[in-house]
Amino acid sequence: MGLIESGKSPKSLTALLNISRKYSLWVYQWGLACCAIEMGAAFASPRFDVMRLGVIPFPASPRQADLVVISGTVTDKMAPAIRRLYEQMPDPKYVISMGSCANCGGPYWDSYSVTKGVDQIIPVDVYVPGCPPRPEALLEGIVLLQERIRTEDPAARWRGEPIHVT
Amino acid sequence: MSPDTETPEAEAEAEAAETPTDAAREAVRDRFGAELGDAVVDSHITVGHTLWVRVTAEAWRTAGQVARDHLGCRWFDFLSAIDWLPSPYGRYEDDGLSPPKDIDATIVTGVAGGETRFQVFARVVNVVDQTDIIIKADVPDDSLAVASWMPLYDGADWHERETWEMFGIGFEGHPGLRHIYLPGDFEGNPLRKDFPLIARMVKPWPGIIDVEPMPADDEPADEPAADDATATGGGEAP
Repeated sequence: MGLIESGKSPKSLTALLNISRKYSLWVYQWGLACCAIEMGAAFASPRFDVMRLGVIPFPASPRQADLVVISGTVTDKMAPAIRRLYEQMPDPKYVISMGSCANCGGPYWDSYSVTKGVDQIIPVDVYVPGCPPRPEALLEGIVLLQERIRTEDPAARWRGEPIHVT
Repeated sequence: MSPDTETPEAEAEAEAAETPTDAAREAVRDRFGAELGDAVVDSHITVGHTLWVRVTAEAWRTAGQVARDHLGCRWFDFLSAIDWLPSPYGRYEDDGLSPPKDIDATIVTGVAGGETRFQVFARVVNVVDQTDIIIKADVPDDSLAVASWMPLYDGADWHERETWEMFGIGFEGHPGLRHIYLPGDFEGNPLRKDFPLIARMVKPWPGIIDVEPMPADDEPADEPAADDATATGGGEAP
């Protein structure tokens, strides 16, 4: 790993690693509202079968996850827990924000208790629009994320500044 | 909706004589009133549906006790509160940019009447007889507190915490009134009518701004639209 962190990994090795990472995404499910039903359909039903994309929705804890799907309404009370969840995940880590609520507050944009987008708390890689998005939309978001992983420079990802809780 | 607010007993009985009666709920109301006496201020029966009884704030816990012990209402359904104050901001839907000019601040209360801005109310059910009763009480404006129902119903715990944080109504005798749904450092009582929604003051409700026609309205509007263009805005066009 020293090679990768220092950015001295050969390009062919980087590409191989990226393809490997792309097809072994352990995804943690963070279902907060009705979007979780669609996420459950995408992740747990044979009709959509997310595992054919190389996404494994069975990590026992955030510490084993590469990806977390924030699906549903993020409230101000839930926000610290999401922050802690993100910090518990090992680098490199990815976030998909699923649905209007997690993207920007959605129909609760004027609420006194809803966070106006999960990207105010943690960095988001892919936004999946919809209220709620269909399972296909989430699968497309995962494919987009996989494309991003395939073409990214792991060194940049692993060198990322640590995030401090304020 | 409130024919019996003036003379509750006589009016209710007269109404009961000519309209479909609800003997079961009247019996419950009478037993409840017999136990509580003067503490019952008013009552209202929606035939076949609901019995409302308004009691004094001092008798709030006693009313719960009577309902539990004498009416057999062992099941606590819910406890909440009502803020009868008309919103000082008006309806944001009316105008996205500025509040309406004239806001009538007169408080109009619902069934069984009321004299204060806040009312607490709770529903308890006798699951054996299938009878239920909704008890409500005016919350004194100066103290904004009533007695807790925690000694009667354990289930009242979270309901009273929610009512406390949403309306700012205290419950004397509750062991731990602290935030339940909101973050611990939240300030204000969001379900009060005078709680401002800051987001709506910064940005008007989009529903009043986006006045695009529905897709179905487009096709029929094509021919009249040409007429409108010439008639109103298109004075220089022809």
